[in-house]
Amino acid sequence: MRRALFLCAAGAACWLAVRPLSAHHAFEAEYDNKKPIHLVGKVTEMEWINPHSWIHIDVTGPDGKVTNWMVECGSPNIMLRRGFTKRTLEAGTILDIRGYQAKSGENKANGSSVTFQDGHRLFVGGSNPDDQESKRTPPQ
Amino acid sequence: MTRRFFYLALPLLGALLFSIQPAIAQASSRARDGAGSKKTFTPPKTPWGDPDLQGLWPASSQIPMQRPQTLAAQTQLSDQELAEKKAQFDKQEHADSEEFASSSGNVTINPPGYWIERARPTKQTSLVVDPPDGRIPPLTPEAQARIKALRGGLGPGSHFPDVVNSWEDFDIYSRCISRGMLNSMLPTLYNFGNQIVQGPGYVVIRSEMIHESRVIPLDRRPHVGKNLRTYLGDSRGHWEGNTLVVESTNFNGKIGIGGGAPTTDALKIVERFSRVAPDELSYDATISDPGTWTKPWSIHYPYKLDASYPIYEYACHEGNYMMLNALKGARELEKQGRDTAAHQFSPGNR
Repeated sequence: MRRALFLCAAGAACWLAVRPLSAHHAFEAEYDNKKPIHLVGKVTEMEWINPHSWIHIDVTGPDGKVTNWMVECGSPNIMLRRGFTKRTLEAGTILDIRGYQAKSGENKANGSSVTFQDGHRLFVGGSNPDDQESKRTPPQ
Repeated sequence: MTRRFFYLALPLLGALLFSIQPAIAQASSRARDGAGSKKTFTPPKTPWGDPDLQGLWPASSQIPMQRPQTLAAQTQLSDQELAEKKAQFDKQEHADSEEFASSSGNVTINPPGYWIERARPTKQTSLVVDPPDGRIPPLTPEAQARIKALRGGLGPGSHFPDVVNSWEDFDIYSRCISRGMLNSMLPTLYNFGNQIVQGPGYVVIRSEMIHESRVIPLDRRPHVGKNLRTYLGDSRGHWEGNTLVVESTNFNGKIGIGGGAPTTDALKIVERFSRVAPDELSYDATISDPGTWTKPWSIHYPYKLDASYPIYEYACHEGNYMMLNALKGARELEKQGRDTAAHQFSPGNR
């Protein structure tokens, strides 16, 4: 069943597209580009806070152990302008998330893509459409 | 004295909090580049007789601070150059707004596009219009020395350094303190809303990013005492015909303008706001700081009225985990034997 929850810390080779970035954020200081992660889990809480929102999800590992992860999103304002509402990420929603884990080793990640079970995807388009790096296949 | 000022400002702040629409609700034209017959436009008046500049004026035009040197004296892009930039903008907008996964979907450590609002291309090739080469004048020797002395002699950090050692490695914007003047008036990557609200004797300029307001008295009162110094400075305004002229002083010497140069407390900014069309606000600012630049310089920015861009709260300190996460990352790197003080430097204070 798709509902089977799992955690996969992919050890894939890093194909990070290194390019300058400016948002209200220091990604390179917080997250580890050698720790790409793939999480599937159930939303437990959505923090609509500035400067960036956070999704909390419960992820069940292969050993059946449940861990709670925090995944970072954009600011509430920009998410609102892009059509998100406070009901978009209700507790219980199952999400498939790809991103990178915090350098600290905590269960925190930046969420680069978040996909619902029906394939609907919240966070896409992060790439430059002309950037060849963006056309690569993500690690599985 | 400051308490008196606070009480005077309170009613106005209250009014602006409940102000939803600009007094003059003009339909927002999306035409960004047409000049039109702006010189003959006479702005409407407020009920008390001041020129009415009120409205939502997001900084949604994409203009670099300095002109690329390859463009030399070219102040405007050609129609073809603008068309190329617009085509790229439309392509990126489409990519940003995709709702379903595509087979080429990827993961990067960079923020996804939905985090970002992209300002629209315009013909103007630089914010800097004086000097005519579109470049910020050279730094004074003392400003160069200040740059080298930043962070205990380590030099300037980037806006968001890849490796950090201390909270001091981040600029005031990253620390949710302020974007500082002049930056608070200019585009950033998202939440670039600005609103002007007027009351008898006052103009208030609200900036969405970092949630700041400047309350500007128009009664020609003197600036506050020289010991009162802030990131946004102390602003005083007056009308010259239909143009609002705002002079700001009393800066605290902690802000950078134009690529990281730390200014001094002698910084002075003079702004001129003119409503040149129902939906266009012409903005000019002259920046002078003899301790930082060898001569004053000026920028121009064309704000477009956009009633569909309301200002939302951006209480940045509310949940800023970034600092915590970054410093935890630094401590982890140190455990692994990395020297987090060994930075790569690039100016970037915004």
